[in-house]
Amino acid sequence: MHSADGSRPWTFYAFAAFFTLFVLFLYGPMTVIYILSFQGPQGGMTFPMNGISFHWFDALFSQTRVGDIAGSFQRSIGLAVAVALVTVLLSVIAGLGFRRPFRGSAVAFYLAIASLIMPGLFVGLGIALTFRLLGLGTNWFTSGLGAQLTWTLPFGLLIMFAVLGRFNRSYEEAATDLGATSWQRISEVTLPMLLPGIIGVALFGFTLSYDEIARTALTAGSANTLPLEIWAMTTNVTSPALYAVGAVTTVVSFVVITIALSSIAIVQRRRAAGARRATLTSTE
Amino acid sequence: MAILDQSADDYSASATTPGAGAEHRAVDAGGERASWFQIAPLVVVLALFFGLPMLVVLAVSFFDFDRTDIVPAFILDNYADLFRSEVTLRLYASSIKFALIVWAVTLVLGFNIAYFLVFHVRTMLWQIALFLLCTVPFLTSNIIRMISWIPFLGRNGIFNQALVGSGVVHQPLEFLLFSDFAVIVAYVHLFTLFMVVPIFNSMARIDKSLLEAAHDAGASRFRVVSEIVLPLSKSGIALGSIFVVTLVMGDSFVVRTMSGGQSASVVSALQNEVAALQYPPAAASAVIMVIIVTLMVAGILRLVDVRKELAR
Amino acid sequence: MAEASGSGEVAVVGVTKRFGETTAVKDLSLTIPHGSYCCLLGPSGCGKTTILRMIAGHENPTTGDIRIGGESVVGLPQVRRGTAMMFQSYALFPHRSVLDNVAFALKMRGAGLAERHAKARELLTKVQLENFADRLPAQLSGGQQQRVALARALITNPRVLLLDEPLSALDEYLRLRMRGELRRVQKELGITFIHVTHTQLEAIAVADTVVVMAHGRIEQAASARDIFIAPRNAYVARFVGGQNVLSGTVESAMNGTAAVAAENGARFAFPVGGIRPLRGSKLWGSIRRDRIALEKVPPGSKPAGGLNTIAGEVHTIENQGSYVKVTLELGHNEEFVAHLLDETFFANPLDIGDRVVARWSASDIKLLDDGPVAHEPASTQTAVATAG
Repeated sequence: MHSADGSRPWTFYAFAAFFTLFVLFLYGPMTVIYILSFQGPQGGMTFPMNGISFHWFDALFSQTRVGDIAGSFQRSIGLAVAVALVTVLLSVIAGLGFRRPFRGSAVAFYLAIASLIMPGLFVGLGIALTFRLLGLGTNWFTSGLGAQLTWTLPFGLLIMFAVLGRFNRSYEEAATDLGATSWQRISEVTLPMLLPGIIGVALFGFTLSYDEIARTALTAGSANTLPLEIWAMTTNVTSPALYAVGAVTTVVSFVVITIALSSIAIVQRRRAAGARRATLTSTE
Repeated sequence: MAILDQSADDYSASATTPGAGAEHRAVDAGGERASWFQIAPLVVVLALFFGLPMLVVLAVSFFDFDRTDIVPAFILDNYADLFRSEVTLRLYASSIKFALIVWAVTLVLGFNIAYFLVFHVRTMLWQIALFLLCTVPFLTSNIIRMISWIPFLGRNGIFNQALVGSGVVHQPLEFLLFSDFAVIVAYVHLFTLFMVVPIFNSMARIDKSLLEAAHDAGASRFRVVSEIVLPLSKSGIALGSIFVVTLVMGDSFVVRTMSGGQSASVVSALQNEVAALQYPPAAASAVIMVIIVTLMVAGILRLVDVRKELAR
Repeated sequence: MAEASGSGEVAVVGVTKRFGETTAVKDLSLTIPHGSYCCLLGPSGCGKTTILRMIAGHENPTTGDIRIGGESVVGLPQVRRGTAMMFQSYALFPHRSVLDNVAFALKMRGAGLAERHAKARELLTKVQLENFADRLPAQLSGGQQQRVALARALITNPRVLLLDEPLSALDEYLRLRMRGELRRVQKELGITFIHVTHTQLEAIAVADTVVVMAHGRIEQAASARDIFIAPRNAYVARFVGGQNVLSGTVESAMNGTAAVAAENGARFAFPVGGIRPLRGSKLWGSIRRDRIALEKVPPGSKPAGGLNTIAGEVHTIENQGSYVKVTLELGHNEEFVAHLLDETFFANPLDIGDRVVARWSASDIKLLDDGPVAHEPASTQTAVATAG
């Protein structure tokens, strides 16, 4: 829908403005909080800024009445890593399994979709009740882990569907043709080529777990994860320490996202290396 | 049903008994078994941590309870109480109201953003970059993003200060925070992405030359969108709608915080019951909610078949 | 490491392949001699690729057997079959260098790094790509990628090489050049090549044996020359091209010639050899397009009739370089094509709309199988190929 001379129609500018507003809408409020987290020691929960300091970051790690930040942070990271690993393992293998037709594939598929759209609190309630009826106590590393998997596994599966849908199977056929056993085919061709998608699954597994609250709320047991701790803080804490927590946890998220996206970029670049440099040098 | 691949045979012919004239059906069975093994871990985890708990919730919804514990039984009192109470009706009205408004707003937003990314952004690189720009916030903490609206919309918040400072209004606007408005803003902020992604996917699959052909035939830009783009993105819209509606209906945290306790949703009321250890009524409430949301989703699926969106 | 090359004779024995409701291949039998170049030719959906994939082992026959070098290979993995496949899209691993791509099969068999890289370089030299060993496939042109795919397939010394539309991803110029390359390589190696294509001229250009297929069956399997000059039935005649198909009812038959009257009024003389077709039965024949002479009919006069002539109007004229293709319309949407040598045409050029008479000699007509009274019962569908 571009004019022949390559210039852009007015609608482009309208849409671009709209998009910019949306991006501001997405990032604006968060940025405000990050700025406010540097509030001076006498400052309140909103503007104006009463000086600039690291006071509230300090408070996070030194004062216990702010909450068990360090402990919940460690638990959240540990849980997120575990969830990411399990999600990658199970989703990738299951995604490969769904490539063939098999009896019961519809049931399995709808089970995953149902798990995805079921409100987290219900799942949490169900797990808590189940554990209670079995005489087990809820714990962030058992029931909490399982609860979060009900959210990350369907996501991982959908990502694998998207990635595998674009994957040309003739590479695998070629590998078989050249004598690869099933295992060799998977390790030499399939998995390496799916690596960007697998990194994506790991990324989602980690971040979805790290930020998860609804499912974890009833299944974490006595020790909170970071999001639960933050939630408690929203009612208890009336100081910019809350913002400081927000800033810290977001930094962690950004670090993880950056690592994942750069790995994907590196892998892609190595593969298509100089694809644009090619062809013209052909000596036919 | 083959979710991903329509070929009838396993591409790696597993070893079967060779022999002239033999029926070679063993390949299919071997492939099926392999698939079962591969999906088993995932299915087992989901069955244990989702399927089973849901059944337990269903069972507990029929239990009795006293002040200290739940008592296994089969009574319909929990459901009866739900149906008799007019609070239930109000809660559903509130939840459904939010769901509809948020759906409409995210649909308009999501459609336009996806349209911009697919049809107006020229290079793949920019498309990916801008798409990531929208997606990254989703991968950070929901809670933080939600509460970040509080200093923004409050009486002394940025927005009001800007409005008053620039003279647009004389008094800070009260309705911005701890109101239905705030709840909706927060929902839109959190969930628009769920609308953008499926619609983006649908639109990206539209053959660009269709638009050129329509343009050549004299369609105005608007007609091209209404006649071609919109119908071809239907499945993406339906999928996004399902996500947004189920997320809003199933929420309790946002509505609690952003309405300052004035509004409630079905699930927030449920969370109260759970906190008060009243599990059977909570379970009954959950069951009813699931049925209602399932009906809503089924309604959407009736209108549009999203299977081709999920099954490539 | 080299796979001992046994006999590369490929025998497809009574193979049927069903995919759910559809039958892709129906009770097909074919023998391809060791060391020959065989082309499977046909339109999309005729089953040629299915046959190829069954020989390769990527599909198994529903019923029937496939034998290579005399032993049944159904169910055997590629390593034991002695086959190698070149894919239509080449399927070069994008995440591995050209050298690693070629060496892949050896790696799968456990060959050491130095050994397999050395062997791979050897093969790359054979296809003149030794300087590209460390590049990624994405950095190569289409023709170069194809040579890498070839080298990769040949590294295990297969006895049969299977090519799935190997030239269709190339542009026209490269396609014509690579045809000769494939033929040359096959002769040099002396192994069996089975090449699937839908391009008639390509099949004739490279193959010893051409197998024309339709709807899962073999229509004709013969040498490239015979497919062209002696098509067995109307389908092959039309598909391979270069022929006009004539048909009509027998009026009389005498001394090895049948007088045939076509529906449009033309009258032909078909050489029928020893058969005695019944009066009133339908006969089919083909006449090569380059055995036709065209004569312009002066406006106003009647076209001269006669046996083995047809009158029509020039519909299209196509210059094909060394010959000119003239298509006549005979009325009732019937077409008739003549290929005239360029000097012949330009000596007396025709225009679109001219009325002409086409004539040919009776001896140039070949009888086709389609009539109810055909010649000897249709030979079995076993390929009569001669190697090389």
